[in-house]
Amino acid sequence: MCSRCLELTRRSLLAGGAATAAALHAGVAQARVRPQDMVPLVGPGFKPTERDEIGLWKEMDRVEEEISGTNLLITDRNITGYLRDLIGTVGGPAAKDFRIYLARIPEFNAMMFPTGFAVVFSGLLLRMRNEAQLAGVIAHESGHFLRRHMIRSWRDQKRKTDLFAIGAMLAGVGGAGAGVYLGDYVQLAQLGTILSLFQYSRAMEAEADSMGARLIADTGYPPVEMANIWEQLIGEENASARYRGKHRRKGSIFDTHPSEGSRMADLRADAAEITVPGKVYDAHRDRYLTNIGPIRPMLLDDQVKLNDPGASQYLIETLAQDGWNGLLRFYEGEVWRLRNRPGDEQRAAQSYAAAVAYPDAPAEAWRSHGIELMKQGRSAEAKSAFRRYLTIKPDAPDAAWVRSMAG
Amino acid sequence: MVKRGLGIALAASVALSGCVQTRQYADVQFTPPSGDYKLLVLRPDVTVGSLTTGGMVEPRADWTDQARHSIVEALRAQQARRGGKITIVEHRNEVPGVTAQELADVERLNYVVDQSIVLHKYLGDYLPTKRGKGLDWTLGADAVKLGQKTGYDYALFLHAEDSVASGGRIALGVLGLAGCFIGFCAPNVGGQQQLDYASLVDLKTGEVVWFNVVTAGSEIPGIKFGDLRTPEGAAQMVDRLLGRMKPGKEAAKGVVMTPEPQEKR
Repeated sequence: MCSRCLELTRRSLLAGGAATAAALHAGVAQARVRPQDMVPLVGPGFKPTERDEIGLWKEMDRVEEEISGTNLLITDRNITGYLRDLIGTVGGPAAKDFRIYLARIPEFNAMMFPTGFAVVFSGLLLRMRNEAQLAGVIAHESGHFLRRHMIRSWRDQKRKTDLFAIGAMLAGVGGAGAGVYLGDYVQLAQLGTILSLFQYSRAMEAEADSMGARLIADTGYPPVEMANIWEQLIGEENASARYRGKHRRKGSIFDTHPSEGSRMADLRADAAEITVPGKVYDAHRDRYLTNIGPIRPMLLDDQVKLNDPGASQYLIETLAQDGWNGLLRFYEGEVWRLRNRPGDEQRAAQSYAAAVAYPDAPAEAWRSHGIELMKQGRSAEAKSAFRRYLTIKPDAPDAAWVRSMAG
Repeated sequence: MVKRGLGIALAASVALSGCVQTRQYADVQFTPPSGDYKLLVLRPDVTVGSLTTGGMVEPRADWTDQARHSIVEALRAQQARRGGKITIVEHRNEVPGVTAQELADVERLNYVVDQSIVLHKYLGDYLPTKRGKGLDWTLGADAVKLGQKTGYDYALFLHAEDSVASGGRIALGVLGLAGCFIGFCAPNVGGQQQLDYASLVDLKTGEVVWFNVVTAGSEIPGIKFGDLRTPEGAAQMVDRLLGRMKPGKEAAKGVVMTPEPQEKR
């Protein structure tokens, strides 16, 4: 995009860079947006009235039709109803207007579209430790809508590309009139325009974070949980990178979002600012676990199959901070088994053995435990484990094979 | 939004010159539908926007509605002249006999097959196995099932996007033109860009029997090549896109279709 910038001399780059920075009124660092300044800009039942926004909404009709009908969606009524209730609680004035879709994608992500429908990835539900954290992400996305970020960024882009086009043309025509070549500066201005667009995007994200913290605090969730999400994500990315012998990617001036570290720090400051002493906040961990319980095995299964043992192990251990159980121990074993480094089979065997000691051990834990016992020559115990598997899952696709093993 | 990718790829495949280009491909045994045929047109995908000074396309809901209406009217008139019975649906739940989900599946399948056609027929990534075979793609059993359940002979998929240069964009071109007098000549900043494509699927065999792409663009803002918003512009587009359907190679030579299945390699 900017390979020719290298042709610039150092001096002209510095001079031009200073001019660009001055023109943009800001450097890379982002000032924290204070929650009390985050007032919703739309009310209930918002419909666009301006031409460009009407056009934007129109384009989204088919996008929503496409997304709401994709077979990637998890359509289980209990879990989708739970998400709808949540956005209905923390969605501020537009709470009743939002639509929310859950896509089966094992990644940490959620997004809001200009017309007020949100898509949450299933990987988010795996990572959240309580309802307050999930509510925080949903409130952040609601914040994008409530602060009208999509149309504001569109207008920002339009204004800046217009200015750039006019400026570039004037530089060409004016330069030709004056007999100087201003092409290098036009390139620099282009870089400045692009950087300023990214910066605007980061400012919007900072607003959504603050708005989100305010929304969940107003509905009685501890706002500090939003900062905790970032602490967990940084930990996960560090663990994933360490395993691959790499370093976690830090923020850059080409990012659309502020760096995770600065989001965490800002959200901690926000939380301290808006937490009312004496008020009772509840993160609703039990309610969260009850609601996502039925799909948690699927979420864990999708995660361990990503072949990212560093992240998977970190996630399981983070969730286990709230207490180990049979499900988490089984998937811990799966991480080792799939990683398959020296010693991993013993580790996996230990995890399976630990898993079956819990009453909630999934059927597959008994099968894996049985296989490990069989390999160790403890066939009587193995057979009893296989029988246990068949008792829990008599119609399992591999039932015939396991039955033959169970003797 | 999803369709944007294909549009960009297609637009990139034609030189950015101020002209109208069309390039169609047909199955070797394709004969253009005529007489008493039943044609299903699935959700014509039309967007019209305004080209901003800086070169972005601002979607315009009112223009899009006008253009969609004009195109649908032009399409009805054209097909009626050929003797066909045409049904144009705007929503997936409007076709009796099939569910919205079944229709969505066929539409999405068609979209990826179209992408493949664009890649291997228009973007230069030609396949030796398909050389001399005209258009050799099929939607398979799903499309045949759609035909059986609904009684249609053909399904037509149509995409049209147009951007009209805004006042600012035209002014930018004028400024560039003014510069010509002092040695910096840049009137060709890019104006209207129209991209239309259509594919025709034979619902008896499931095969994509015909595919056409029309691009119309001007480098100089202010000069237009048919405005989709007007009935005339829409009729012109429908004529460019669908009006000159050529038969396939063998059908044109008068080769009689054999009832036995052709050996395909």
